[in-house]
Amino acid sequence: MMTAGWLHAQESLVSPVTRTLALTNANIVQKPGQVIEKGTIVIKDGLILAVGKEVKIPVGARVIAADSMYVYAGFIDGLSHTGVPRPDNTQAQRGQAPRPQQAQQVNRSNPTNEQSGITPEQQVKDQLKADDKSIEEMRKAGFTAAHVVPRGNMLPGTGAVVLLKGSSADAMVMRNETALFSQLAGAGRVYPSTVIAVMSKWRELYKRAEQAKAHEAMYAKNPTGMARPNYDRSLQAFYPVIDKKMPVFFAASDLKSIHRALTLQDELKFPMVLTNVKQGWEVANVLKSKNIPVLVALDLPKEKKQPEKKEGDKDAAKKEKSITEQEMEILEKRSAEELQRYLAQSGVFEKAGIEFAFSAMTVKSTDVQSNLRKMIANGLSENTALAALTTTPAKMLGVANVMGTVEKGKLANLVITDKPYFAEKSNVRYVMIEGQLFEYEVVTRKAGDPNANAKPAGIWSYTINVPGQTTEGRLEIVDSNGSLSGTISNSQTNQETPISNAEIKGNALTFSANINMGGQSLVLDYELLIDGNNMEGTVSVGQFGTFRVEGSRNPGKN
Amino acid sequence: MNKYALLLTLLFGATALLAQPKTGSMLIKNGTVLTITKGTLENTDVLVEKGKITRVGKSIPAPAGVEIVDATGMYVMPGIIDAHSHIALDAINEATSPVTAEVWVGDALDPFDVSIYRALAGGCTSSHAMHGSANAIGGECETIKHRWGTKNPEDLRMANAPRTIKFALGENPMRVHGEGSGIIPASRMGVEFVIRKAFTEGKNYMEAWNKYNEEKKTNPNAVPPQYDRRLQTMADILKGDIIIHCHSYRADEIYMLMNVCRDFGVTKLCFQHVNEGFKVAPELADFGAGASVFADWWGYKFEVYYSTAYNAAILMRNGVVTSINSDSGDYIRHLYHQAGKTQRYGGLTDDEALALITINPAIQLGIDQQVGSIEVGKDADIVIFKNHPLSVYGVPQKTIVDGVVYFDINEDPDDIRIDINPEESFPAFFLEEQHGHSHDRCMQGAWEFLFERYQNFFEQQKN
Amino acid sequence: MKYSLSIICIIAISALSLSLPAQIVGKAERGTFALTNATIETVTNGTVQGTVIIQNGKITALGNNVTIPAGAKTIDCAGKFIYPGLIDGGTRVGLSEVSSVSLTQDFAEIGELTPQMQALTAVNPNATAIPVTRVEGVTTALTMPANGLFPGTAALINLVGYTPDQMYAGFKGVVLNFPSVRRRRFGDNRTEEELKKEEEKQLKQLNEIWEQAQLYVNIAKSGTQPDYNPEMEALAPVVRGEMALLVEANRYNEIESAIKWIQEKKVPKAVLTGVAEGWRVADKIAKANIPVITGPVIAVPTRASDRYDKAYANPGLMQKAGVKVALRTNSAENARNLPFNAGFAVAYGMDKAAALRAITITPAEIFGVADRLGSIEVGKDATLFVCTGDPLETSTQVVHLIIDGWEVPLESRHIQLYQEFLDRQPGLKK
Repeated sequence: MMTAGWLHAQESLVSPVTRTLALTNANIVQKPGQVIEKGTIVIKDGLILAVGKEVKIPVGARVIAADSMYVYAGFIDGLSHTGVPRPDNTQAQRGQAPRPQQAQQVNRSNPTNEQSGITPEQQVKDQLKADDKSIEEMRKAGFTAAHVVPRGNMLPGTGAVVLLKGSSADAMVMRNETALFSQLAGAGRVYPSTVIAVMSKWRELYKRAEQAKAHEAMYAKNPTGMARPNYDRSLQAFYPVIDKKMPVFFAASDLKSIHRALTLQDELKFPMVLTNVKQGWEVANVLKSKNIPVLVALDLPKEKKQPEKKEGDKDAAKKEKSITEQEMEILEKRSAEELQRYLAQSGVFEKAGIEFAFSAMTVKSTDVQSNLRKMIANGLSENTALAALTTTPAKMLGVANVMGTVEKGKLANLVITDKPYFAEKSNVRYVMIEGQLFEYEVVTRKAGDPNANAKPAGIWSYTINVPGQTTEGRLEIVDSNGSLSGTISNSQTNQETPISNAEIKGNALTFSANINMGGQSLVLDYELLIDGNNMEGTVSVGQFGTFRVEGSRNPGKN
Repeated sequence: MNKYALLLTLLFGATALLAQPKTGSMLIKNGTVLTITKGTLENTDVLVEKGKITRVGKSIPAPAGVEIVDATGMYVMPGIIDAHSHIALDAINEATSPVTAEVWVGDALDPFDVSIYRALAGGCTSSHAMHGSANAIGGECETIKHRWGTKNPEDLRMANAPRTIKFALGENPMRVHGEGSGIIPASRMGVEFVIRKAFTEGKNYMEAWNKYNEEKKTNPNAVPPQYDRRLQTMADILKGDIIIHCHSYRADEIYMLMNVCRDFGVTKLCFQHVNEGFKVAPELADFGAGASVFADWWGYKFEVYYSTAYNAAILMRNGVVTSINSDSGDYIRHLYHQAGKTQRYGGLTDDEALALITINPAIQLGIDQQVGSIEVGKDADIVIFKNHPLSVYGVPQKTIVDGVVYFDINEDPDDIRIDINPEESFPAFFLEEQHGHSHDRCMQGAWEFLFERYQNFFEQQKN
Repeated sequence: MKYSLSIICIIAISALSLSLPAQIVGKAERGTFALTNATIETVTNGTVQGTVIIQNGKITALGNNVTIPAGAKTIDCAGKFIYPGLIDGGTRVGLSEVSSVSLTQDFAEIGELTPQMQALTAVNPNATAIPVTRVEGVTTALTMPANGLFPGTAALINLVGYTPDQMYAGFKGVVLNFPSVRRRRFGDNRTEEELKKEEEKQLKQLNEIWEQAQLYVNIAKSGTQPDYNPEMEALAPVVRGEMALLVEANRYNEIESAIKWIQEKKVPKAVLTGVAEGWRVADKIAKANIPVITGPVIAVPTRASDRYDKAYANPGLMQKAGVKVALRTNSAENARNLPFNAGFAVAYGMDKAAALRAITITPAEIFGVADRLGSIEVGKDATLFVCTGDPLETSTQVVHLIIDGWEVPLESRHIQLYQEFLDRQPGLKK
């Protein structure tokens, strides 16, 4: 079966014969600023056995020629929801209370803790799904470990450091109950619904937890004649924070939220890591002086596409500009300047001497590399950027003794690129997590031409290039007044399935197909460019990856 | 950042979040000074040093290095104070419960709201940023100074301003909780009960703590009452630490709250909107309650149907400390004009009319020792007007807070935004509705909250 | 029986005599009036000192050299000023009693295409807001339906009278809310693209309606009776140029599209209303020679990046670019603030004379009633007021009010409540 083939292609690189591997002839960036050229890394049983220029390759090791490639310590995501599926209920996801017909059961003024988004006692390990597609997406971006926290509103629960591989949640978890996660998110239609109530509730919970903790301690000493403490799991979740044994990872992206989080911290004095920070340059000195660690958001505001200059623009430039045109120029300049400040944030932090790592909480994994390049272009040094992906998060998360560098004894968590990671057109080619290797094809996509008028109708034959294997198939597309439909089959199963969501824009054809693999339903998303009777493009197969597709129209059958 | 600054932040790291608003010095020469409390002084100078008014008089010599502002032919008055607004806030209504005394809009200050600058351009230097009116007992409010340009919310806070809290009577809490959630209050009877209950619970909480503090002295096993911010706030009101500012319209509900406050020994009380305050003006004066009113709003809901634009004049003539407020990002820009309307509707004198937007709101907010008039020792919050501020042709020229010029009509840069959206260069078009509920800014947030119930209403209002 | 009846009579008579000295409700009076010793601001012919004579509802003489007719009621206006009644170019006066009580709101119907809905028929002559408005010198107002693409037909009314017909001031116009899809304030998650699509859809709809209306007119012209179609029947006078089309457009690009549409469709009588961002495209409006009714002036700028005074300055900027500008409050209960809107326009750059015209003769011209309203001229309707000074100035008091020849008592609920409660009896019960 064809998907079975893909699956095999991915995992075939992990040899069933040996758990010893050697990467040879690679540029090994052991840690920021420390590089071994043309070195070798030996991995055994998931650990780095040796690193160096003159390293003996053990007998029986599987050798992978990483000629001219670059090897880094696997990236560590400082905070995200990777592996935590979004709740099916879209309302709950947006933090909204039920609609009116359900509202009868909800006491808006006195909701349950779950409805309020106050579940600090929850642990992320109970929500992790080992097969969630976000894991593969992050892995493909070079991340080998992540600090993950539950989804929710103001206090969703505690986090864990996980490896981005494994067949079950338990297999992924490295360190549990790492941090209490919080954000200034209201619970929609129930209390606390706004930021003012979230702030108040935070203070109240914290002080109640202090009271409860003191009461419990008193009771433990001499319970006779004393009112019994109530058992309250939510308040108990604060105890390690009160003892300063567990930090609060506070998500606060914009400047006002940052100020609010700092206000709470200032009042209650809990250990805090400010996370997913996007607009923090204004408070760099405060963060530095208060010694608050920071996780910088990996997402950046989108740059506006410059409108293409049309013919005759020269004449337009001569003509007097209207009020609105003059205004637009000024306003666009202001936006562009502001964008620069966002791009320069991590550079500002670096100069201020703030210790920071990155948070992938709201970034699209495919944007990570280009966003890092933008940060570097705006003042961040490559070494600090690399540290923020490796050594700094390892230290912040208390796992520096096992990950973050390419050194003997560390977990074999590596990311291997064809060019230096921060260089233009650099691609992640391999990711290794605890010795397990994941290989990635370089898939380049041509840009579509939106002005083309390609006709997709007809019968096509196509091939999918999977490493070590090629699958062929037949695609038939019917165009009835611009509405596309059709079927697709493959040579391995001869199974024919209907295509859905078919659309042509210019010369870009997109459609999806559902196939059944061993009882599991998989969605294949095709993106193809048509050039006459030829086409090429990609197919994405859920967590398995994206593969190259080529095809041609069968002549005479249209 | 230079090394010295870095050293300072390291030394004072713990207080780095605290505001250190900038102050300025200047000599305002030769204006017609409307002191409010000490009459009108022609051809008079006002000396400002380090944010304070240090001298008022004729021909004051300029101290070395102090900038001179020529106010010849201009009117110099104290900065306008708005006793009721919702600008500079990210959250207004926590509309989930009829009592939310524990929340504080000071936690949601928004220094980026362009309404702050627009208010300055209308001569308004301070405002009372209030919780909304969805709940019988809303949250604590924040008295702010319009220090535009800061990115730190802390800079907006007015130091030493007393705590204030929003109450609300009548239709809004009835609609949100009675109609919206099917819980008390659905009537004015229910509103009274909700408030009495909250006061009683606050009193019991305070007593429980007092008892615990006593018991603790002899009993090491004494267990404190559970910390409760809502009840604590109610207790603080009972202790006289917080001024109540109560959204109200009808005479009966105004009278009701005065009775409730009497029963609980609460004396710090100011009514807001109070459209039918004129009907119980003698009772308001007798209680010593303030009244902060609209100049002429009426008819936008049933409880303001029997209103009169002569409300402020009747209240003033009855000896009630009265102010005129905006409750609006629009009206906060021309409170001087709103005050002027009391000359059309009731013939107030210039000093009386100007007191409505200066010293009287300052008294109601408990900040009259710092602002509200041009007097030596007060904060240098000053507006310079071309034409008399009560004239429709009055135009603010310069607005000064703590001796710093924050608005200058000749140096206005058009686009004054501080927080720019990097993804949207042309800000969205927004047309203020002139009809009906646009006046009910107090319900901001609460409307959204009730959106589903009122969907038809919004459809109707879209034009 | 007889006895008791006479007692009832005595009680009734004494009750009547008790009520006589204090007239509770004043009545309007019509007759011959001589307003003497006044400063007369004619608007169209400068300022004149002297007398205004009113007979049979018209101004029959004015100036220094007039004879006061026998039997005229003389009102001494020494030290006072006479102005033509102020005209508010767009309101909901009479159509809304209490804004939050939907069943007291009569300005909106169901559906996008309801031009046949007549605002005039729903005007409540006894609306509380009417006396409240007129006692401040606003004597005449366009009252407009709202909502939908073609919400209905607006009517100009004088703010006196007991039936809509008595109030009708001689102008009707069909309202078009020019297609404009803006995100609603709450709960609207549509993307920019969806909004644009929706706007295009609406514009297409508008064009179809206009085509139908033209067809309807052509069929009727050819002598054939078209099928019963009340919507097209209401639009026909607009197509024929017998009635104005009041095109509401506020965003600058909306205004540009509206101008383009008006020109393409060759709409014979078009007026732009709203025009909040008119200053951005003032030259284009002037070039298109389409009159404008804008306001409220006392409003916030439409965009966060706009200079703080743009709403105040908008009428002046358009006027200086050569646009014919009238003002409106767009209000139901506070149209009395019309003179202050003009005052703010002056404070922020409009010529004072132009601002006064913008609430008197200019709207009269736009509405085609300048032969009767908008200025103090012999032969025009006696719709004017006497005041203590500049009518745009806040502290000015209106002291006499004459609308359509009726001397109207200066009474309103606001004034009555003032009189009752200034010195309340009983006062404080100790």
